[in-house]
Amino acid sequence: MIQRHIFGHVFALEALIAAGVFVVVLALLVYALLRRRAGRQATASRRTERPRLEAYYVAVLTAFGVFLVAWTAWQNHREHHTAERPPVRVDVSSFQWCWTFSYPQAPQRRSASGTCRGDDLPTLVVPTGRPVKLRLTSRDVIHSLWVPELRYKMDAFPDHVNSFTLTLDREGRWMGKCAEFCGLRHHTMHFWIKAVSPEEYHRFLQGQQGGGGQGAAA
Amino acid sequence: MTVAPPTAKEGTGGRPVPPSGWLAWVTSTDHKRIGVLTIATSLVLFLVMGTFALTMRAQLAQPEQHLVSTELYNQLFTIHGSGMIYMVVTPFAIGMGVYLVPLQIGAPGIAIPRLTLLGYWLYALGALVMLAGFATPGGAHADGWFSYPPMADSVHSPGAGSDLWIAGVFLATTGTIVMGWAVLWTGLRKRTHGMTMLRLPVFSWSMIATCLMVIGAFPALLAALGLLAVGRANPAIFEANVWNIGYQHLFWFYGHPVVYVMFFPYLAAVSEVLAVFSGRRFFGYRGTVLSLLVFAGLSMSVWGHHMFATGQATNDYYSLTSIALLVPAGVEYFAMIGTILGGRLRLGPPMLFALAFIPQFLIGGLTGIMLGTPVIDYHVTDSYFVVAHLHYVLFAGSAFGLFAAVYFWFPKVTGVMLGDRAGRLHFWLLVIGTNVTFLPMFALGYLGMPRRVSAYASFEGFGWLNLLSSVGAAFLAASVLVFAVNVLWTLRRRTLGSAERAPDDPWGGHTLEWATTSPPPRLNFTPDHPVPPVTSFAPLLDQRQRREEGAAAGDGSRP
Ligand code: HEM
Ligand SMILES: [Cu+2]
Ligand SMILES: [Cu+2]
Repeated sequence: MIQRHIFGHVFALEALIAAGVFVVVLALLVYALLRRRAGRQATASRRTERPRLEAYYVAVLTAFGVFLVAWTAWQNHREHHTAERPPVRVDVSSFQWCWTFSYPQAPQRRSASGTCRGDDLPTLVVPTGRPVKLRLTSRDVIHSLWVPELRYKMDAFPDHVNSFTLTLDREGRWMGKCAEFCGLRHHTMHFWIKAVSPEEYHRFLQGQQGGGGQGAAA
Repeated sequence: MTVAPPTAKEGTGGRPVPPSGWLAWVTSTDHKRIGVLTIATSLVLFLVMGTFALTMRAQLAQPEQHLVSTELYNQLFTIHGSGMIYMVVTPFAIGMGVYLVPLQIGAPGIAIPRLTLLGYWLYALGALVMLAGFATPGGAHADGWFSYPPMADSVHSPGAGSDLWIAGVFLATTGTIVMGWAVLWTGLRKRTHGMTMLRLPVFSWSMIATCLMVIGAFPALLAALGLLAVGRANPAIFEANVWNIGYQHLFWFYGHPVVYVMFFPYLAAVSEVLAVFSGRRFFGYRGTVLSLLVFAGLSMSVWGHHMFATGQATNDYYSLTSIALLVPAGVEYFAMIGTILGGRLRLGPPMLFALAFIPQFLIGGLTGIMLGTPVIDYHVTDSYFVVAHLHYVLFAGSAFGLFAAVYFWFPKVTGVMLGDRAGRLHFWLLVIGTNVTFLPMFALGYLGMPRRVSAYASFEGFGWLNLLSSVGAAFLAASVLVFAVNVLWTLRRRTLGSAERAPDDPWGGHTLEWATTSPPPRLNFTPDHPVPPVTSFAPLLDQRQRREEGAAAGDGSRP
């Protein structure tokens, strides 16, 4: 779950800095409100600028901006660094208004789909501990595959394939959603992502039950 | 709106229609009337779009509610967002420019007045055309304010409402561009004697930077809409990825600069209010002017940050340009904070809104830097986090600037003072409502609630945060109601002659509009109210200070 991990770090740092800046500005505002009220006999300053101070301030801002850009770009590259091991492949096809997950590496082509009505949600089954490469496309309009728990999403376009690699390090089942408005049933276009042990994944690919979901051999 | 026109006693108009009839209003080439028309129209539309928002908040207050159908909900968020951006916040900003820039630079009128009037009419017509979508059998357009193809093509959005949306937005934007040219040209070419570029008031400077973005970036929206129209005639176009992603590039080339078009004029209005109500010159003027221009330039290089999740943009580059924006933004904050730190603050209603703008807009700005970080954006884009962010920028920020501007310039425009007590009530309700409505949305997005959903399941756990947000919306409704009543009541009393008359300069203003009468005469300045000598960007303050110094030198005993 490298995405979740990196998101956590970067978000925490930026949120902390943002909170710091907010508190400083608020403190200055409150100070001005308390001390510079007309009722307190404050006299208005006639100073029109402080170019020296402003120049230092701009230098600090710039240095900070450079740090932020470089550091977050590095994190972004780390997140997208693909592992050496050959990944498990899953083809994701989105359509109005549900998903199809196909497993091209299964002995007999396996795929799972559904209607995304009520409880009929398709399940994307992936093994833990191995990189999984999702190849994402759409049959009609733009959709977006989002798994909030993994802190990651990517858009699915027609006539274009996007891919990204995930590694799940524990077993579990989480909900995924469509994040790009795609029409009438956009709000119910959900799916499950289920991480199982490599052995169970192997059995699932062979077509034995255990993977769960509406996995029907196609 | 029932703005009864001032009975122009000086009668310099020289036109055959009675000057206070409605016909005179809608055909006037007086920039003040065109400005008031634009502002009044956008305020009416603000109320309409606001009721759409309240309907959405009512629907979302509880899980799995269906007060309105999903079809209608989708139309509501589309028209709410499109209306607020294309037809409320942007035109209001330009309308302020049309009204104020000629006054602030000491000009008798605006450049290209007839075209300016045409611009207004295109805008008003565009708004009507877009709203007419609700009267078509399929309802209004329902694909969000940026309406990506192929969802917006004629296969996936077949209704006539979508065609009307394209036509309406096209017309309104064309009108805005025309008005933008007029304001830019006025600011550049019609300045009075002594009004050098570095003596332009901050507000006029902000309008110049704004209009540069309008003419530089808005045509990209027209191109995007043109592409969409062509694609609706021939949907095969959007089978090719290049046009789908191409549309996004065109759209966001417009879509980011428009954010600053909806920001600069309000920021500058806030700056004017802060300076006047702090009783001092605006601090850090040159830095602010420079930062506005840098901002405007950069604004056209950041558009790809709306496309981080498409997998088809150069994320590193767009992240760099986006984060670079923190430098000019920081400079503007330096100036605003510097102004109040050395001021002598009076807390009238305009000042309250201006002061609240500072921390509230900051929340929008800081979360904007987060969204400019790809690693964070992947998770929160297209979620309620973005909805929270954009409303902090546009509502907690720009709308507060808008209200500051209304309270500040209302006496100048109408000649009467706007109710002070109701103004304070409006302010406090608005502060509570804004934060209670929009803060929970950050959490909702973080927890996984996508935007543009008409309902959510109860097990997702979004219930109480949504309820809180909807309770906040009720405060907003109350607050805007107080505002509307205050304005209408004051105008009514003006017609009856019982409103408190506004002096020429009720606040101790700094800029030239305060040197003329309230409301200003047809050609802005007259022999009894001539343009004062322009000695800096705050000429009236200079005059007052010279007088004080003269008096001090005269009696010689002042400390
Ligand atoms: C200056 C005022 C405002 C502006 C400029 C504005 C702008 C927008 C925009 C651009 C959108 C996105 C529409 C889309 O997804 O295509 C939106 C959505 C929304 N706004 Fe506003 N808005 C304003 C005021 C309000 C207020 C006062 C409320 C609450 C009472 C509100 C509630 C909402 C809601 C609930 C959505 C739908 C979110 C979603 O489903 O994605 N807005 N607004
Ligand atoms: Cu969708
Ligand atoms: Cu942007």
